[in-house]
Amino acid sequence: MSGKPLRRKLIVSLLLLSYLSPAVTQLHAATSVALPKEESGELDISAAKALFDTHSACFVDARSEYSYYNSHIKGAISLSDSRFDDQFPDFRQKITTETLIVVYCVGPGCPKARHVAEKLKKNSYRNVKVFSGGLVEWSHAGFPMER
Amino acid sequence: MQRIGFPSALITALRLLLGAIFIISGGEKLMDLKYFALVIAEYQILPSLLIPAVALLVSLCELLCGTMLLLNLFSRISASVMLCMMAIFIAAMANNLMRGLDHDCGCFEFLSQWYGLKEGIGIGPIVRDILFFILLLPVALLGSNRISRKKNHVSNME
Repeated sequence: MSGKPLRRKLIVSLLLLSYLSPAVTQLHAATSVALPKEESGELDISAAKALFDTHSACFVDARSEYSYYNSHIKGAISLSDSRFDDQFPDFRQKITTETLIVVYCVGPGCPKARHVAEKLKKNSYRNVKVFSGGLVEWSHAGFPMER
Repeated sequence: MQRIGFPSALITALRLLLGAIFIISGGEKLMDLKYFALVIAEYQILPSLLIPAVALLVSLCELLCGTMLLLNLFSRISASVMLCMMAIFIAAMANNLMRGLDHDCGCFEFLSQWYGLKEGIGIGPIVRDILFFILLLPVALLGSNRISRKKNHVSNME
C-alpha cells in the first residue's frame, strides 16, 4: 500500500519544516532590523544634506520655539512638539500637504521629531521623514545653521 | 513705633543683594525680550496674545523694583511687588512640573549663555525662588518706605 511512504514523507517534511522555521523567523527578524533608515521614514545625515542642497524638502524644527530662536538648520521652520496646536494653523497656511517634510530635533535620543512627524501624518501630510541625527549631528558636520 | 528683632544693617544688606540680583535678571530679560516671551509661551499658561506684554511687564518690574531696592526708594512696595512675582513664578513652575512639562525656566539666562549652565524648570529653581521669597519678607515688612516717612514727617510738622 502507498499509505506508509506518504506518511513517511509527511513526517520528514514536518521535521524539515520544524527545523527550518526558527531559521526562517530569524531571517525575517534580520531583514526587519537591517531595513534601511529611509524605508522606515528616517533619514541619515547624507540623505538630509542632499535634500537640503537640492531645496527639495522643508526642514521642520520640532524643539521648543526658544531653542529654535537660539539656533536652527538654515531655512527651517519651527513647529514645536509642545506647542504644535498653536503653531500648526500658521504652518498649514505656508506648507502644502504634498511637500516633502524633514523633521528634526536635538539628536537621536530626542523623541520630539517622531511625535511631530506622527502629528503631521495625522493631518494629511504624506511625505514626512525624520532626520534622527538632529541638530547635534548637523552642527558637528559644519552644515549651514542660522539664528 | 520702634521696630525690633531685625537689625537695620541686615535689612540694608538684603535690600542691596536682592536689588542687584533683580536688576541683572530684569536687564538680561529686556535685552532679549523675544527669547523671554518664547520661554513664557512654553509654560502654556497664558494666551498667546498676552505673552509679549507679560514678558515686557515682568522684565520692567524686575528692573524697576531692583533699582528701587538698591536705591532704597519705596523699598517696601518694591519688595512686596517682588514677593507677588516670586509667588507667581513658584506656582507656574510647580504647575508645569506637575503637568510633566520640561523646558527652560527663563531665569538668569545669562548663566547658560556665558557659562553653559542651562537651567530648566525643576526643584532647584523653585527652592531658589522660595529662598528669594523668604529673603524679601523682612524688607517688605520692615524696610523703609520714603513716601510714608515723608507723610509722617509732614503730619508731625503740622
